[in-house]
Amino acid sequence: MARRQVLPLRTAVSTSAGLASAAINFLACVEVAEYAGGPSAWIALLVAGALIVFSASNFAELSGLYPSAAAIRVWTRRGLNDSLSLIISLVYALTVIFVIAADAFVLANAFHAGIPQIPGWLWIVVLLLVIVMANLRGIQIAGRIQDANALLLLATLSIISIVILDKVPLPPVSKFLHVGPGIFQSIALGVFIYVGFEWVTPLAEEFSDARAIPRGMYIALGLIAIAFALFTVALTIIFPRTEQLKTTVIPQLLAGQKALGAIGFWWMLFVTMTTAMTTFNGGLFTASRFVYALAREKSLPKVFAHLNDRWVPSYALMTLAGLSLVLALVIFATGQYTILINAGAGVEGLIYALSALLVIRLRHKEPTRVRPFHALGVPWLTAAVGVVFLFLGVGALMTSSSQVPWPLVFVGLLVILTSLYVYRVVPQLKTKNPAKPMKRVREETIE
Amino acid sequence: MSMLTTFEDFARACNENERLRQMNRDWSRTIVIETTDSQQLYWLRSQKGVIEAGEGDIPDADMHIEGTEDIIQAVFSGQMSPTEPYNAGDLLVKGHQDDLMRLDIITLLIWGE
Repeated sequence: MARRQVLPLRTAVSTSAGLASAAINFLACVEVAEYAGGPSAWIALLVAGALIVFSASNFAELSGLYPSAAAIRVWTRRGLNDSLSLIISLVYALTVIFVIAADAFVLANAFHAGIPQIPGWLWIVVLLLVIVMANLRGIQIAGRIQDANALLLLATLSIISIVILDKVPLPPVSKFLHVGPGIFQSIALGVFIYVGFEWVTPLAEEFSDARAIPRGMYIALGLIAIAFALFTVALTIIFPRTEQLKTTVIPQLLAGQKALGAIGFWWMLFVTMTTAMTTFNGGLFTASRFVYALAREKSLPKVFAHLNDRWVPSYALMTLAGLSLVLALVIFATGQYTILINAGAGVEGLIYALSALLVIRLRHKEPTRVRPFHALGVPWLTAAVGVVFLFLGVGALMTSSSQVPWPLVFVGLLVILTSLYVYRVVPQLKTKNPAKPMKRVREETIE
Repeated sequence: MSMLTTFEDFARACNENERLRQMNRDWSRTIVIETTDSQQLYWLRSQKGVIEAGEGDIPDADMHIEGTEDIIQAVFSGQMSPTEPYNAGDLLVKGHQDDLMRLDIITLLIWGE
């Protein structure tokens, strides 16, 4: 059966790398460097990357087993049950809002540093509005723009880091190999640098070759590891006392300036903008479609299935953008962006642990189903790496600069609220709108 | 009701809906539907707002849908929204997400909630 439309491996690589490369990663690099205690940050990123490869192989198997845009919703429904699947999918989808809010914070600070006459919060409002307006008109950022953005970011980081490493005197080799007491947190936060690589799996249906997804993810992880490890090490060279890193929220601009002067500063500002814009666009586009699908299966209020005349789930989109804006403004006012980084890293760590569990469970439940790709080390190594991710996820949630582990509190509350919603509200929604044979209507009935 | 009749009825329902014809006028797609239990192939083709149905293989498909006969029949006869079997992994689709969403919306427009 010949098919007309296929996506190449290149798109799998750039999508995986592009979605993982949020502007918030720059601040995550600062945190990784701080906990690693200096130039040895590369070790944390390398270990995190090696662990992520196992996780990527889990996602590759699950994606080959059920190549679906609903991805995590399908796998957890098959591997666990419907209610747990819904809770997990909702929390996972809400993580997109954390990332958008945190990215908005980075963007606002970067632009305020470049053009101080305009307050930072105004940038957040304007840029989110621009993205929402574009999405409401049905405009989709083409794959090629995402491709270009991923390439631009990774190439820029590598070039600027190499220039810095070439310019500034390097510390003794022992500094690069020193592993401090914060290495565990550093690895946990290092996971955040790669977070989002798996968001390419919802595109599984669009590749004719099932091997494109695993290959694309592996290549993207390698590129991310090189670019961000170089950047993190370069940061620790510019700021030899790692506690100095805490004082800046625009490390990428400082790195650009240090490497190439004013050109480097503005270049990095441009890269920050493109990276944040694609995060906003990609995040809102994907999450709004997910909300639409849940409304169609009556797990969310019917209103979110509303489509405008350009086929866009407009109420879902505007609600998500509104939530992102509120959270972004709260973060901007309080400066507590690290809570979002740690919460995001924690949720992702737990999702990666879950992917290991799902691979093992589905091997038992559906042993004869065709698997175009087999995960590495099933069951024992998969289980061991899953446990490591479980600890890393909990570790990231427990990481806090104050006595109270705010990321854990934040995610815990989210899970409680989502569970209450799934067990209390969803049954009412389903009772109110029971599945019934549909009656043909002459005219369209979208509200 | 035979599967082919189900698809022909589906196509007729689409073509009878004025609004749908208008909305689909620039949506030219060929969809192949495969029943996994009986290994039968059917197709739907949308061209200038008009949908046709048929049986057998067809070249240059834009979308490939797979599911058991029961599920395919339930979805294309309006007894089930495509979203539920899709989210449960019982309906597999190869194609662009936008086209899948369009197909879901078509069922919504024909049969409502």
